[in-house]
Amino acid sequence: MSIPGLHLTRIGNGDFLLEATRSLNIRDQDRLLEGITACLLQAQAYDSARASARSGSESFRASCLYYDLSEQALIDPVYYAWLNALARTIQAINVKMVCIHIQPTAAFAMAQFIREKPAFETAIDIFGWQKTGR
Amino acid sequence: MAQQKKSEAAGYKLAELLKLQVGSISGTIEREGLTLFGGSNNLLGSDEINDFCIEFLQLLVALLESRDPHDDASPQFHALEMYFNNLSKQILVRGGRVEDLVRYIQFMQRTLIDALDHDKQCTVGDARAMLLFLSGLFNELILAVFQAYLDEKERTVNAQEAELRETATPITEIWDGVLTLPIIGTLDSNRTMLVMEALLNRIAKEHASAVVIDLTGVKNIDSQVSHHLIQMVRAVQLMGSDAIITGIRPDIARALISLNIDLSNITTRASLSDGLKEAFLRMGIQVSHKAA
Repeated sequence: MSIPGLHLTRIGNGDFLLEATRSLNIRDQDRLLEGITACLLQAQAYDSARASARSGSESFRASCLYYDLSEQALIDPVYYAWLNALARTIQAINVKMVCIHIQPTAAFAMAQFIREKPAFETAIDIFGWQKTGR
Repeated sequence: MAQQKKSEAAGYKLAELLKLQVGSISGTIEREGLTLFGGSNNLLGSDEINDFCIEFLQLLVALLESRDPHDDASPQFHALEMYFNNLSKQILVRGGRVEDLVRYIQFMQRTLIDALDHDKQCTVGDARAMLLFLSGLFNELILAVFQAYLDEKERTVNAQEAELRETATPITEIWDGVLTLPIIGTLDSNRTMLVMEALLNRIAKEHASAVVIDLTGVKNIDSQVSHHLIQMVRAVQLMGSDAIITGIRPDIARALISLNIDLSNITTRASLSDGLKEAFLRMGIQVSHKAA
């Protein structure tokens, strides 16, 4: 799925992995939010169509978007606002966002300025999130 | 120009004098070296002291025969400085005192000045130039020794600080994916930051799912520190781990409440053992007695 500045990969069970590259321009937030949401919706629609073709009944499965932050050494309020905006947007289409691989430096920096609970969940990695069953 | 020529002439004259009396000068400074650093002081062996004395005189003659003995940027001057720097490091590392080193250098200077006495052709002007040269040179050498002393002290302080940091943050992986951090003593902002840094790095390294922070040993807490503590918990949660705070004593609890610290998003338990049980519960681990 080609959205400039990020790789969005389907990793099974309705889950997606989003890896931001260095060229990600979060100033272009609206276009990015629309692009990512469109991709997720498209995948959900495809899932629904396949499920109903198989069993005859319509099934809809909420998916999860894992946002890989391993390359993000620092998260400032601007980047945090982008993460929150993305999490809130995809919540509207029943997709949960989980940030994984947050670097110690980024967690340290974020802890200095955030006051409220973020709109996204956090986990060490995908396996860690699935293991705790949240 | 005339001054430089004068100093060059004084340098050459001193070099000649040194060459003529090298045996007695070397013997005198070696004896003093043995008294200060050898024997029961056990800082340098007699062979080492002998080698040092010979090397010192060789380097000094090389400096005196250089184009400008007063030039403190010349390679000869640098070599002499480095020689004293290394000598100081060796003696200080072995437990020697900087005072003895300085006394030794002053003794060397006195020995060289005494050697001027034996030259009957030395005029007052020559002696004055040589004395000026020697006092300038030895002042620089004493500075080199102090520099080495300060470097050594700084190295020791840094090593002690690193050791303190290690002991201040005894993070232990008590179970696969469960870290415990007992905090003992007084928490100040600096220490809290160090603890936070070590803890976050450890979470990333061990992929820890839960962290139990035990405050049983914390004596007191102020508003800034409690703020840092909350930040630490928030950072741990952002890394994707569960943070459980245990052992909050009544006075600390009262202090947290009076500081208007919101603990609603933070899991707290009475004791470290309760905290561990909570961590195990969240990870789906069951620890039970062996069936009889």
